[in-house]
Amino acid sequence: MAPPPPPAGRIVFLSFLLTAAVAAAGVASAAAPGQEEFTEELLLRPLPDRKALAHFHFRSSAPPADSVGRHHHLFPKAISQLVKKYHISELELSFSQGRWNYEQWGGFDPMSTSNAKPPGVELWAVFDLPLSEIDVTWKNLTHTLSGLFCASINFLESSTAFSAPRWGFKLNEGNLRYGALPREAVCTENLTPWLKLLPCRDKAGIASLLYRPSIYKGYYHSQKLKLRSSQSVGIILDQTLTVVLQPNTVSGKQLHSTRGQLQPNWSMRHLFNRKLSGKCLVSKSSKIFIEVDKGIADKINKTGSDLPWNNEFFKLSNYPDRLIKDLNELEVQSSSLYEYDVSQYSEEQPFDVGITWKLPLIWSCVPSPFHASRFLMGSGNERGSIALSFMSTNLHKQIFGSPNDCSIKAVIFQVVPWYVKVYYHSLEIFIDGNRKTISEVVDKIHVTPSEDKLLPGTLEMLLRFPCNMQSATLTLDFDKGFLHIDEYPPDANQGFDIPSALVSFPEFNSARSYPEIDASLGSPLIENFQEDSIVKSYTEALLVPLTTPDFSMPYNVITFTCTVLALYFGSLLNALRRRISEEERELKKTVTRHGLIRLWLAKLRGQKVDPMESGSSSELAGSKKLLFKVVFVAVAAVLFHYFSNNS
Amino acid sequence: MAEITGDEAPSPPPPAAPSTSGDVPQSPSSSTPTSTDGKPPLRTTKPGVKRLVLTASVLVSFLVGLPILLKSTEIHRSPLPSDAITALANRLHSNLPSFPCGLHAVFLRADPSPFDASLPGHLERSISAQLQLLPAAPTAGNVSVSTTVESARGCSSSISVGSGWRCGTVTAADLARGDEVFDELLHSVLGSGGRDGSRVYTVVVVEIDDAEGMRVVIGKHRHAWVVGKIDETKAVTAIGKVFVKYFMNGGIEEGETGIGKGEFMPVGSDGNLVLSFSLLNADPSDWVYDWEFEKIGERMLNPVVEALRPIAEINIESQVLYHTPKSSYSYYDDKLGGNVLSMGDIPFFVNSNEWHLDTSISATGRSKVLQFVVYIPSARECPLYLQLPDGVLSKTNAFISPMWGGVLIWNPPDCSLGFKKTHNTQKKMSSQELMETIEIFIGQLRQLFGLKPYYLSQHMDIPTKFIVSEKGFTEWELDLLYRQHACSNLLSCLTTLESLSSLVRSLPRMIVMDEIGRQVELSLEAANLAQRNATLGISDSSAVSATRARALAEDAFFHPSIMSISYASIEHYFAIYMPFFAPVSLHVLLAAVKELKRYKAERAKYSVFLASRATPS
Repeated sequence: MAPPPPPAGRIVFLSFLLTAAVAAAGVASAAAPGQEEFTEELLLRPLPDRKALAHFHFRSSAPPADSVGRHHHLFPKAISQLVKKYHISELELSFSQGRWNYEQWGGFDPMSTSNAKPPGVELWAVFDLPLSEIDVTWKNLTHTLSGLFCASINFLESSTAFSAPRWGFKLNEGNLRYGALPREAVCTENLTPWLKLLPCRDKAGIASLLYRPSIYKGYYHSQKLKLRSSQSVGIILDQTLTVVLQPNTVSGKQLHSTRGQLQPNWSMRHLFNRKLSGKCLVSKSSKIFIEVDKGIADKINKTGSDLPWNNEFFKLSNYPDRLIKDLNELEVQSSSLYEYDVSQYSEEQPFDVGITWKLPLIWSCVPSPFHASRFLMGSGNERGSIALSFMSTNLHKQIFGSPNDCSIKAVIFQVVPWYVKVYYHSLEIFIDGNRKTISEVVDKIHVTPSEDKLLPGTLEMLLRFPCNMQSATLTLDFDKGFLHIDEYPPDANQGFDIPSALVSFPEFNSARSYPEIDASLGSPLIENFQEDSIVKSYTEALLVPLTTPDFSMPYNVITFTCTVLALYFGSLLNALRRRISEEERELKKTVTRHGLIRLWLAKLRGQKVDPMESGSSSELAGSKKLLFKVVFVAVAAVLFHYFSNNS
Repeated sequence: MAEITGDEAPSPPPPAAPSTSGDVPQSPSSSTPTSTDGKPPLRTTKPGVKRLVLTASVLVSFLVGLPILLKSTEIHRSPLPSDAITALANRLHSNLPSFPCGLHAVFLRADPSPFDASLPGHLERSISAQLQLLPAAPTAGNVSVSTTVESARGCSSSISVGSGWRCGTVTAADLARGDEVFDELLHSVLGSGGRDGSRVYTVVVVEIDDAEGMRVVIGKHRHAWVVGKIDETKAVTAIGKVFVKYFMNGGIEEGETGIGKGEFMPVGSDGNLVLSFSLLNADPSDWVYDWEFEKIGERMLNPVVEALRPIAEINIESQVLYHTPKSSYSYYDDKLGGNVLSMGDIPFFVNSNEWHLDTSISATGRSKVLQFVVYIPSARECPLYLQLPDGVLSKTNAFISPMWGGVLIWNPPDCSLGFKKTHNTQKKMSSQELMETIEIFIGQLRQLFGLKPYYLSQHMDIPTKFIVSEKGFTEWELDLLYRQHACSNLLSCLTTLESLSSLVRSLPRMIVMDEIGRQVELSLEAANLAQRNATLGISDSSAVSATRARALAEDAFFHPSIMSISYASIEHYFAIYMPFFAPVSLHVLLAAVKELKRYKAERAKYSVFLASRATPS
């Protein structure tokens, strides 16, 4: 556990704030500070499985000023007030639907490492606050965000829903909080408030392409908001929307139509059902990129086409303004970006760009070093185990060559809700099917065990796999806990979701380098691509079925117990006040008085009557009684069967 | 079972001896040969009470246990001081808080006539009589009138002088330096307010021989002066009118809406107010305007914020929005040379679908946001004018919506130059224009608070001049606001507390947390403090306490735990306890009734037996 912050630290912090405030005031009075800026960009990329990726990127930035949070021109006021009120230095909120297909769509590029997000809602934030105040601030923040984005982010408020990873997710000093809601459904009611943060909303500019029926029809949809705030740069808000769409095949002549595997031709108008008529007028720059993967770029380079946008494989419908090449460490071109500037287009002259394939092409994206997946084992409602499996993609051979004694690091970060009680000592590791001792593989491990109804379990683990390994499996046993009756969510029979685990490979960096362009050119999208980001991939979310009670159970129990108690009490009271001898005398008297019926009744009760009347009649009565009993039981059984079948 | 024991039945009793003694089975059967002809059987032994006592004790223990059960399953209800609430209600309903204030009339006489020492007293009486004639403001308490008469010969005052007037410091000659200077001079002489915190308003009558007619100047502090050749009766009328009409009523005539006429203050119930200024570019493809609000707006609005602090904590925010068309129609008018929006269309002007004005994070809880919107029309609808019902164009081109804010239509300078589409031109509102805009907004803010945006002198029969304050609100207007605010807040606090107490009373299964009780008590305390300050005439601190009282009352009423009613309903309670108590209590009651009946019957038999034994012997 982290030691409480020393008081001196706070004083230093305060004085720093003071000087910062003074400095900010000085800047404000001396000269006009930098302007608030807004840029919009869109990246389109054909994917190997005949789909297309569209990645919208909007950046709003506010320079540091003392009017932050109160007076704004382009930057959304709500966000700056949020940053100011909760002292956020970094925040990322993502809403995703669908799962990023790491094998087909790539696992080693900036798109998959920073824009592929787990299904549902994921929120993490780094606070610029003393450690003791962070939890309270996080709770208030979740409520504010859920109001701002029309989502149930406020479920992350309870201490069972968020965790404080130290190094498994992102290196920090204990001021990071992470929470995920895997089941949150994402739809247009979350997109509208997200769009409201853009100065032009979806009225103009690139965002006007966001025609809801087209973008929600896709295979993957992830809407993200990332905030960075500091005294030196002010607030930078990156809003991205990543969608994977299935292009409608353009009617017309299809080359090689006999072979179904031809890539579909598409254009922006086909993808989104919308035309792009100019930029958002207040944006500083407005660009569209078409990215072509390494697989295609290599082939183009081999043929040595001089027209990069119209080669023997494909043709872009417009002449690009610029071609940007990405070079990897070995100075080999890996992918190319065709850049289009949208600012000169207008309502009368809408912009559209498309890709037409000339030859059927098969290529694949660069995968991450290991393909990670997670699944459940075991059956029944009592216990089970979680397994994490890694399949090597043999990427290291391409990068490092093939030395045999190397190793690859992998970091696992996993949060498990408290009702899945993981026994961390039961960790077993199998490499290529052989069981290994933990010390052989695990370099560093940090476990925060779960506490019932208080804390989720957090596992951060640094593994070191040998390079020549083909597959590895980690298993952890768990018991399923019992929830209190009012802790069950609606539709508890569906099961409980365990948020996705994050696997990152710290030795692999997915940053792109574009040596041909200078950084000052100001494309936040390319800037983001160039930033250092280690290769990450999210595993599947798990669905654990827990024992769910019959929710009318408390009343059943109450009624049943009370009935038994009442019966007991009643019979006790009766026994206490019963006069047995008197009853017998009464009975005798009535028998003599009322003759046969009473006699017969008394006989049924098994009392002896005068011996002279016994004989055949008693036998007759006995057999009748037996018959009556049999019939009664049979009727009861039939009725019971009937009703139990009906209900 | 008892019946089974019938097998080993004891010796059959003689059929004609049905008399029983059920108490003790072993007890000897009745030994008396009794009648066989249907007479009630007799018994020889005293009927036992063992079973009766048993069932009675069970019943009694049940009855005793009932209150214990009720007590143990009781839900927590913090006692609300409903007596104190009713007391407050009675106090407020019988007499609204009224703020006593003083009126000090100063006569600076020019004529060197002999000094009359009884003149101040005489004037004082006639002013008091004048005040009786004029309608009083609802929040004004008793007015203590004092007068001072000063002339070259000397100076005399009535017994108790309210203001800090010192004779000889101000002369008629000072008037020549202009009204603003004279106003400040008077302020420096009079100071602000009375000695004990209550408000004293001063009217100075300056007699100038060579002036024709009379004129009245109302300063920006708590004083006014009347200049001219004046006889006493005229001066007294003028003083009375100035005091009642302006200092007490804010210039609002009968039948006009405004302060004290049932209008609500646009202040959130927690005493916070956010003024959100938005610049709306209806169609940025025509032109994009920006402003430098953070510099000019802050500078102009800060004095206003300071002045209104006892009423509300005000935060100022601004933003620029794009693509925000209006949602009402305007038509082109050739005569006026522009698009015209008639009054009837104004209710539809605010386009809540496209204007994402948003509330603010600083407007937490129950605080209020007032939106002030500058609407820049698109080229197609430019210039856009507001037309008043009488066909004249609005001078300010702006309108307010009570409790929401104000809208101003600003026609950019480009649109009169004839429309030529200029792409991607980001322009700035000039600072001159921005200042004019903010002035209009301050006027709108005054209006939203129930004051007049400006004063017309024709309301008085004497030419009247008003000196405006750079704060937007003059001191006497602020006094008026404080008084009104304290009153309305106290009333609303009372209504909230009364509703809370009646709600709590009407829902006996409602959980009332201790915190709610504490908040109610604090609120009552603050309300009492506000009332006490009001009787002393300290209007600003009374306004502060009243705000606090209202905020606490609202906090108590909207406490989240009030919702817990749904988890402790009476149905729930019955569903849990019925399955046990209904059958058991039935058993116990029936047993007790049966035993009692039986005991009575047996005792009757025994007494018959006793009697029968007594008779033959």
